[in-house]
Amino acid sequence: MNRHLIAVLFTPLLLLLIVYPLVALLSNLEMAAIGRTLVDTFFWDSVVNTILSALAAALLGVILAVGFGYCHLFLKHTFLYKLANFMNDLPIALPHTVAGLSLLLAFGRNQFGFVGPTGLAFTLIAVVLAMFFVSYPLAARTVASGLDQMDKEIIDVARTLGDTPTKAYLRVALPVLGEALFSGFVLAFARSLSEFAAVIMFGGNVPGSTQVLASYVFTKVEEGELAMAVTASAFCILLSLGLILAIMIGRNRDATA
Amino acid sequence: MLQLEELTLKLGGQTVLDKVSLKVESEIHIVIGLNGSGKSSLLKTIAGIWNQDSGSMSINGRDIRKLPPEERRVGYVPQHQALFRNMSVEKNIRYCLRNRRGDDARIDSLIDMLDLRDVLAKRPETLSGGYQSRVSLARTLASEPEVMLLDEPLSDLDVSIKERLIPTFKAALKTQSIPVVYVTHDSLEATLLGESFSVMTKGALSAVESVQDGFAALRIVHMGGKE
Repeated sequence: MNRHLIAVLFTPLLLLLIVYPLVALLSNLEMAAIGRTLVDTFFWDSVVNTILSALAAALLGVILAVGFGYCHLFLKHTFLYKLANFMNDLPIALPHTVAGLSLLLAFGRNQFGFVGPTGLAFTLIAVVLAMFFVSYPLAARTVASGLDQMDKEIIDVARTLGDTPTKAYLRVALPVLGEALFSGFVLAFARSLSEFAAVIMFGGNVPGSTQVLASYVFTKVEEGELAMAVTASAFCILLSLGLILAIMIGRNRDATA
Repeated sequence: MLQLEELTLKLGGQTVLDKVSLKVESEIHIVIGLNGSGKSSLLKTIAGIWNQDSGSMSINGRDIRKLPPEERRVGYVPQHQALFRNMSVEKNIRYCLRNRRGDDARIDSLIDMLDLRDVLAKRPETLSGGYQSRVSLARTLASEPEVMLLDEPLSDLDVSIKERLIPTFKAALKTQSIPVVYVTHDSLEATLLGESFSVMTKGALSAVESVQDGFAALRIVHMGGKE
């Protein structure tokens, strides 16, 4: 029996199921379609919408993750923490169309008195909230994992030196969580970039307004503009690769620091 | 004076501290015990990090049972120093000033006494174990606590370094006439630092006359009551 049997079985499956579909996509790139896509203002609008919304969602995600981290550290036996922890797992099992519908019913009506008849729905804020809804748990889990690896006695010492739990968290715990916060931000950003279902349900797919890259690709396929969809998809792959590269460089820098 | 009466702590259904009573005046009181005997739990309970199930605790007659750690005015030096890595040594030592505790003149004298002036600008993780122990002690003493709790603060050090450090530690601890509870299972530390002694076994604390009596009691318990 081959000494590396598992690798022998793994390699063709990886190539067939992961690498090949991406190669198939890239091999369908057409120069004419690339030109048409690159001059399409709706394409660039969707790129800007995607990046800005994902950044805002990731930032919001990290801010809430900091709050979750506080509960993880000081309020672990409370109902609040148990609920928050449970809600971190929910979006992973929940179809994202359901997440989008929930957001639509919660914020898509004129029930807070400060927005029009459709509430926040079909605005860029809705896109951000939809991305946040599905990406926040990743940031929260990363921060919690960073706190688990931290020496808890620094908190105990800070408390005996006069810090309230809030002061100890802000002065002592958060500064050593830099790497976890950055990883949480990047993961939430990456997850937000790829979100489609929740975004289209709550934010809609209005070209030039709430359309993101994922929905631009969907629209182009629906319109029969497959080559343009392929170009936009290739752009998505480039964006994702750039992000992965940034993460790897960040990790290497941390490892050598 | 630190006074504990029938202090009991249960964690996960297990009795960790079993009706512990202790009275410490302005002295260094050594609690001798093996790993897992409840020594660290005793300090964490006095510091307010863990909440006791029953019993009373007071410092100079002030009931501290229901106070959070930041209001107990208890100094805690943990086993592995727990220095703040995001700050310089100086910021670690002067940390209590942020909470309006201690004063610059006293902190300066502590820095000189513990010979830390040359390393003030350094990051804690760049220091040797001996220096880290001194920084941890200085940081705690700087806050001018009413009681000092030390959890095997020298256990990570070699014997030769320990022998050099113990007199400095003792001198620093004696600058403030406050009760000191020092937990250890090292006879050298107990002998050179201790002024009164007790032994902790399975969460129960009993007073002994000397370090020798303490370790003899531990041996008896370890051998199942047979000498």
